[in-house]
Amino acid sequence: MSAQAPAPPSPSPGGPAPSESVPLFYRRGFRRLLQQGLYVAATGLLFWYIYDALNLREFGFGFLSDPAAFKVANQWLIDIDGVTNSRINMYLVGVWASLRVVFVAILLSTVVGIVVGVSRLSSNWLVARMAMLYVEVFRNTPLLVQVVLVYAIFLVGAPLIQNSQEIGDFAFISNRGVAIPWPVPDAGWWGAPDWFVGVWVALFIAIGAIAMTVRRRRQDRERETGQPQYANRWAFGIFAIGALVTFIVLGLPVSIDKPIIEVGTTTRYLEGMVIRPEFAALTIGLTLYTGAFNAEIVRGSIQAMPRGQTEAANAVGLSAYQRMTLVILPQALRQMIPSITNQYLNVNKNSSLAYAVLYDDLFRVAGIIQNKAGHALEMFFVIIVTYMLISLVISAVMNFINARVTRVGV
Amino acid sequence: MRLPSLKGRRLVSALLFAGAALVAGAVIGACTSDEDQQQAQAVEQQTQQQDQDQPAAQVSGEPRGNTLQLIMDRGMLKCGVKQTQPLFGNRDEDGNVTGFDIEFCKAIAAAVLKDADAVEYIDASDASTRFELLADGQIDILIRTTTITSSRDMELDVDFAQTTFYTGQGFAVRKDSGINSTSDMANAAICVQTGTTTEQNVADHFTDIGLDYEPTGGLSQDVAAAFFEGRCDVLTADASDLASRIVVRDDADDYKILPQIISKEPLAPGVRDYDSDWKDVVNWVVHGLIRAEEIGLTQANVAANAANPPNTEVARLLGVPFEGGSVSTLGFDVVDAQFIQRAIAAVGNYGEIYDREIGDAIPRDCTLNALARPLPSEAVDCGPGEGGIMYALPYR
Amino acid sequence: MLPPHRERARRPRSVRAREWVRRNLFPSARGTLLTALAAAVLGGITYGLIEFIFFGANWEVITHNRWLLFAGGFPREEAWRLWVSIALVFSLIGLAYGTWSSLGRRDHLFVLLVGGFVIFLMAHGGAAVWSSVYFLIAVGCMYLGYLLTYQLPRATSSLRTLQVRVVGGLLILALPIVLVLLLVGGNVGIRDLDGFVLNLILAPVGIVGGILIGIPLAVGRASNLKTISWTCTAYIEIVRGAPLLGWLFVALFILDDIIGGDLIIRAMVVMAVFTGAYMAEYIRGALQALPRGQYEAGQAVGLSQWQRTRLIIMPQALRISIPPMVGQAISIWKDTTLVTVILPLRELKGNADSAISQFEFTPDRIEAYVFVAVIFWIVAFMMSRISQRVERAQGVGER
Repeated sequence: MSAQAPAPPSPSPGGPAPSESVPLFYRRGFRRLLQQGLYVAATGLLFWYIYDALNLREFGFGFLSDPAAFKVANQWLIDIDGVTNSRINMYLVGVWASLRVVFVAILLSTVVGIVVGVSRLSSNWLVARMAMLYVEVFRNTPLLVQVVLVYAIFLVGAPLIQNSQEIGDFAFISNRGVAIPWPVPDAGWWGAPDWFVGVWVALFIAIGAIAMTVRRRRQDRERETGQPQYANRWAFGIFAIGALVTFIVLGLPVSIDKPIIEVGTTTRYLEGMVIRPEFAALTIGLTLYTGAFNAEIVRGSIQAMPRGQTEAANAVGLSAYQRMTLVILPQALRQMIPSITNQYLNVNKNSSLAYAVLYDDLFRVAGIIQNKAGHALEMFFVIIVTYMLISLVISAVMNFINARVTRVGV
Repeated sequence: MRLPSLKGRRLVSALLFAGAALVAGAVIGACTSDEDQQQAQAVEQQTQQQDQDQPAAQVSGEPRGNTLQLIMDRGMLKCGVKQTQPLFGNRDEDGNVTGFDIEFCKAIAAAVLKDADAVEYIDASDASTRFELLADGQIDILIRTTTITSSRDMELDVDFAQTTFYTGQGFAVRKDSGINSTSDMANAAICVQTGTTTEQNVADHFTDIGLDYEPTGGLSQDVAAAFFEGRCDVLTADASDLASRIVVRDDADDYKILPQIISKEPLAPGVRDYDSDWKDVVNWVVHGLIRAEEIGLTQANVAANAANPPNTEVARLLGVPFEGGSVSTLGFDVVDAQFIQRAIAAVGNYGEIYDREIGDAIPRDCTLNALARPLPSEAVDCGPGEGGIMYALPYR
Repeated sequence: MLPPHRERARRPRSVRAREWVRRNLFPSARGTLLTALAAAVLGGITYGLIEFIFFGANWEVITHNRWLLFAGGFPREEAWRLWVSIALVFSLIGLAYGTWSSLGRRDHLFVLLVGGFVIFLMAHGGAAVWSSVYFLIAVGCMYLGYLLTYQLPRATSSLRTLQVRVVGGLLILALPIVLVLLLVGGNVGIRDLDGFVLNLILAPVGIVGGILIGIPLAVGRASNLKTISWTCTAYIEIVRGAPLLGWLFVALFILDDIIGGDLIIRAMVVMAVFTGAYMAEYIRGALQALPRGQYEAGQAVGLSQWQRTRLIIMPQALRISIPPMVGQAISIWKDTTLVTVILPLRELKGNADSAISQFEFTPDRIEAYVFVAVIFWIVAFMMSRISQRVERAQGVGER
């Protein structure tokens, strides 16, 4: 919208350059120069004042390579020892922790948003009212309180690890976390080394690429000839066959690891993966909160759809479910992407609330480093750059999706 | 000519007007504390300048800061205290701050300002930001279960006065857990407060004994709550901190504090560096309260003793003439001679403060916090290696 | 033949109700299943809540600490300042409602529920009977203000204009008046703003300050002078790039060297600076949405650029941007909880943390946080309701 919008308020075009008779002071170019000069001088003065006040004698990032001397909880896939590693490494551990939360919360909040947003428009009175209630409750309470509340409820509500609640025979819930089965790299039937997973993944990417190429070719041909070419079915078939062959020849590269409880003086989970309460609380809090906003965006976009779309869908005899998934949502998607992107960026920034629930995200780790080493300005610089980089990545991905979505012609 | 939106135009003018009004309001609001700010800034600038000075100048003994003067001019002591820790610093239902640390704020305010209530309590609950508050001039003194360590003393803009409470880092566990020492804690989930010495101690200790553990870190009250709800096997903090958090619970009997102590944690008031007048006053008020206990001066009898001092030492300590003699100032020219008398009158001696605020929650007898030389009437038999080290330096 | 809805209306009430139920709850087998499912979920949640609220929870932690939560360290003997401020704000709300809107049955219900909640809270245990009376007086002021303005004849345009001006002016002056009322002339220092009172002060300061910063920023970003638009863009993007927690971190660790002053003032500055960047973006969006003709019309009647911006562009842009700005205001209201996380300021959530560190209340964390959430919800919900009214009254979104 911004690109096509009319130009911002601008001084009048004013016609050609003023003639010689206009005094210098009233000449347009001169005034612009003067205004800008004054402005730059004022800004420069302000910056100089700030620079001077900050007394930047010791500005530098050398302190980040000193040993960290603290431990960071909630590590996953990596196991970095804080006693010997440098501060910057610990910070990156925090960044990784933040990224996980942001990624999961974005996915879940989108799902919640779509479900609730559609439910708000449901013809079922009860469902619509419940969706409205959800939105009004979660949109109007502070995220901080939601997060600490979810955390407190989880700690109080879930049993101690010694009496973990078993789900089926593959998962456990206790207030030490939720232990679920998780794939671990495995040897396959002929005992390959760990890096074999890489081969597997590479093969899969290759097969996927082939399938996508075939799909595009067939789509092109369909467009040229007008004959149905079943591009999606072909692509899926190729991928399935490729995967099957790989599986038969190479075996499964991962095995599913079921969690077990090791009972001792200190009871703990082994194997599998443990979703820790801190991670869960932060993610659920972010999901519920952002989900409420997303739901409103989804509802708004659907309501903005011309009524004709619904009527047309009814006319061709689609069911309510088909109407929603095939006609309404795909179109509404285009309209909601800019607002939803904003919400995703908020998720990124709001993940800093980890500070309040014992989750070692980038903000908390930065706080610990700052507490130990000082250098507040540098640490803040690092924090803001990190958040901006993550925001840029999110924006880039969403722009890509936006481009894809809007490209599909109507 | 009609403009498109009169309503909107009014909105703009109104907003501009509101801006002016807001600024005016803020200025008026700020006026109440404007002086403090200027003074705080003055102190800060001074400190900054001092930082740039040569170290040789720092030890030359000339007065460096004027926090004491600042407090006197302001008529109010800004005390950085915990507000979420039972026994040491917490808020009651009326919003008042109470606890062991708070009594020392009152004592110092009584000594310096002649009014134990002339204290503004500022929240320093977050361990990660407390020293910044001090360095920043937001507070005059930090009395917040803060451990003296060499690195803090050297690196940070903080100088420590006489220790008010001796403790050490301990471990709390559930009684039924079967954990009896840190060697039972292989792979334990340990709740620990971030931004504290305990965080580093526990990392060092587990490195030394070659075990691994899984930390969960956060604010003191948050990690404690997480531990009590079963999130962690172990809660580690100062033993006094652990005791205070356990004793307030209904199910206090389900928990125990291991006898193993892995560190020394002397908790002391902190003031800014190069601020020796102020530090002296803080220091000698604490010593004075301990001395008062040593010689049996209490809140109840201090007035009588001041009116009729039994000996020269009491007269000197309370700043009153002995049998018509002159008043000794004890060398203090920055506060008047009766400052310790006022402190005792306000909060009582060290033992009284301890009994009132901590009492049986953390037994005192035979711990480091007992007097090194208890009054004969109060002496208890301690085991070998036990006994107090509270020992007031002489007032002469 | 009558149109269908007229025909329905002529049927007896019971039939209509039955039909409504059938249509909205049991339209088909699948619909019935959905209803049953939803009812089961709702029932479960309701049961859990009732069980918690009436049987499981120990609300003593709230009733015992109501003053701590409400005003914390605010001097007790100066409490009248709080009550007068509350009565003032309430009567202003009443005046505004009477001027631009009307109270419906739902509004009365809302007032009744919230009022009942507050009075129950204060009367519980007996010690604060007077507080309940003061609160009732404040609510009375609200209705008085409402009746006063609502009864005024709306037809006479000159009187109406005066009314709108007076009430609008009062609304805009409300914040400075309350600040003066609270802080001037007694022994209330700015640091005595504590507990819920601190939230109630911080948020408006952030909002008003944010709008005042946002307007020049938006105009600046849209300027065709490169240096101005670049710096404004940089400001907006950098501020929006980091979370509020980060900026509060700046208030504590970095601003001491730049502006110094008390942390509460710094927190206010940061709130305003932070909100300003967001407000600027909403206003800029509105500026872009204005048809070009508006700029040209301004030129045509010979207005200078300053006049054009002030008289034609800004008024319309502000009107368009009211809905997102209210959204931001609600957001800042909720974000006032964050000052406790980084700064040594004790707002409602921070004082709730103190309450659950007290002797008998350590196990009551959930109660305390639920209470905090409910309080924030009430105000945020009220804000969104009032904004909807304002939008409707101002005709925002209508062309």
